[in-house]
Amino acid sequence: MKLNHITKTFYPDSPKEVKALTDINLTFNKGEFTTLSGESGSGKTTLLNIIGGLDSATSGQIFLDDEEISAYSEKKMAKLRLQEIGFIFQAYNLIHVLTVRENIGFIMKLLKFEDKEIESRILELASILQIENILEKLPGEISGGQQQRVAVARAVASRPKLILADEPTANLDSKNSERLMDMLRTLNEKEHVTVIFASHDKYVLEQSKRIIVLDDGVVIEDR
Amino acid sequence: MYKIAKHLAWLSLWRRKSRSIMVILMIALSLSGLLAIQGLYDGMITHMINTTIRSDSGEISLYTKEYRLHKSLAYKLSPVSKIEEKLSKIKEIISHSVRLQQEGLIATAHKSLGANIKGISLEKERDFGNFDTFITQGDYSFGKHKKEALIGATLAKKLHLDIGSRVVFTAQDADAEINAISFRISGIFKTGNPALDEYTVFVSMEKISTFLNLKESATQIALRIQNTEQIKQVQKKLQTMLPELEILRWDELYPLLIQMQEMMQIFNLASYMIVFIVAALGIFGVMLVSVLERLREFSIMLAIGTPYKMVRNQILLEATFLGLIGFMVGALLGWIILLYMSTWGVDLRSFEAGLETFGLNAILIADIQYYYFVQAFFAVFFATLLSVIWPLRILKKIKAIQVIQGKML
Ligand SMILES: Nc1ncnc2c1ncn2[C@@H]1O[C@H](COP(=O)(O)OP(=O)(O)OP(=O)(O)O)[C@@H](O)[C@H]1O
Ligand SMILES: [Mg+2]
Repeated sequence: MKLNHITKTFYPDSPKEVKALTDINLTFNKGEFTTLSGESGSGKTTLLNIIGGLDSATSGQIFLDDEEISAYSEKKMAKLRLQEIGFIFQAYNLIHVLTVRENIGFIMKLLKFEDKEIESRILELASILQIENILEKLPGEISGGQQQRVAVARAVASRPKLILADEPTANLDSKNSERLMDMLRTLNEKEHVTVIFASHDKYVLEQSKRIIVLDDGVVIEDR
Repeated sequence: MYKIAKHLAWLSLWRRKSRSIMVILMIALSLSGLLAIQGLYDGMITHMINTTIRSDSGEISLYTKEYRLHKSLAYKLSPVSKIEEKLSKIKEIISHSVRLQQEGLIATAHKSLGANIKGISLEKERDFGNFDTFITQGDYSFGKHKKEALIGATLAKKLHLDIGSRVVFTAQDADAEINAISFRISGIFKTGNPALDEYTVFVSMEKISTFLNLKESATQIALRIQNTEQIKQVQKKLQTMLPELEILRWDELYPLLIQMQEMMQIFNLASYMIVFIVAALGIFGVMLVSVLERLREFSIMLAIGTPYKMVRNQILLEATFLGLIGFMVGALLGWIILLYMSTWGVDLRSFEAGLETFGLNAILIADIQYYYFVQAFFAVFFATLLSVIWPLRILKKIKAIQVIQGKML
């Protein structure tokens, strides 16, 4: 994945104008485990949203496998998100009328995987993420940490090329955060999925192979 | 995809059980009430038309062209046997009644009133429209010597007449002579048709023919037709067969009945509007609230790539389930009520005085028509569609990511 001169301005040409991102040029390789870091308001979330096609850049291009996805229509982008990208948000990721099992299988179902395959994948992920015993519960009946693990399972279930997670540990205590990170690390190593975080959690940074530091919408460090 | 939407819609509906049940009941109750009222009103009209046909007009009546204007014996149907012979050739006519009528004065020792005297054959009228069932007091009989009469209930009341009372009827005969004849009251009838109940005395055809000095004459011949669909066609046939006569259908003789029927249709339409509005508002309220409170969830679904179409289908289906279940419960309830009211009837005795003027009996039998349910279905169906437009617009307008980050709403 390649970002070319990405700029994002909120309320352009108005007194409220905010330059959230300025001329971002980055390349993410397959299997990377990267964290976007930086102070609050530095543009992490904005960048992640643009990478995931949830928001559009004011200028610049994004390429995925040599295809310019920044030019996609909303409908085409939704399809791309469904097929290629897994999302983990800060909290309340799940569909509350569906059981944990159905939540994990939701995207695979939408992508018309076979029931048998969905079932075996659910069991596989449940065992890695240690949520086997809550599969029949509803999201409202499990803890926040468990909910986040279910969200991770759903995001990776259909083996997307890219996982995007915006502060997935923000609502978790340190122990649960570590657990979640370890599991994502395991999945990253086992399944070679590319992971991009936005986080300022210390443990997340420690676990990351690559850290990109943003400041006021500009990349100031990439290591 | 559709299956997932259906699954989600169904689960979501029962997640908010009490709210869903409330809307369903709202739709069901208003719908069943409407069905009951519609059946009752239709039953009322049908009943009025039926009694009018049975007691007077038949499906078709024959008069001479001038009779209805002048009401004079000069414009009588004669000879009756010739006309009857022609009628016998039309197989759709299952029964007919020959009547001879004259206006005059009915008097007791204390009081006199304008009235009609009508000669009939009791056997023929029984065959024609079960006239005997209209008798409320006394017997359906003209006595051994045909010197007794049947009198309308309202007229009897006005003259303070009872069974056995004696009355004198004065009228002009065919030669313009004024004659009087006396009768004893043998029976009192109530048809619901004011022209009969308030103004008419029935006597035997033989008696009145001698009294009026006529033979083989009538003022009206009423016909019963086998099937409703045949009426117009028989009318046409008669018009060519008997061009000198006036051949009128019941609805031409009693246009008021048709007007009432039309009024009821307008009334029914207004009732449907009410059900439509109740259903639309009920579903709209529930859908709006439930979309708003799940905006974050829908946004997450959209963000992870769920097609908008699926989310839209989910919401549409939720509303459809509400409407459909509401319709089914309401239709079932309405059907049970209608079934009860059409077999046992509704006892209106407490309102009788008021309803009598409309020609109604104390027990009203409701109609059940298949089309009531079809109409009701479409009313609820369109209400459902209408009610989700606004919630769907909201969903279409939101930016998923802003909702997820709490920047919207
Ligand atoms: N929807 C928006 N409308 C207007 N301005 C916005 C919007 N989203 C973000 N911004 C602005 O863009 C800048 C970058 O915000 P962003 O949310 O990307 O920061 P962040 O690095 O994720 O911060 P945090 O660590 O607090 O989550 C900020 O100045 C913010 O005020
Ligand atoms: Mg952020």
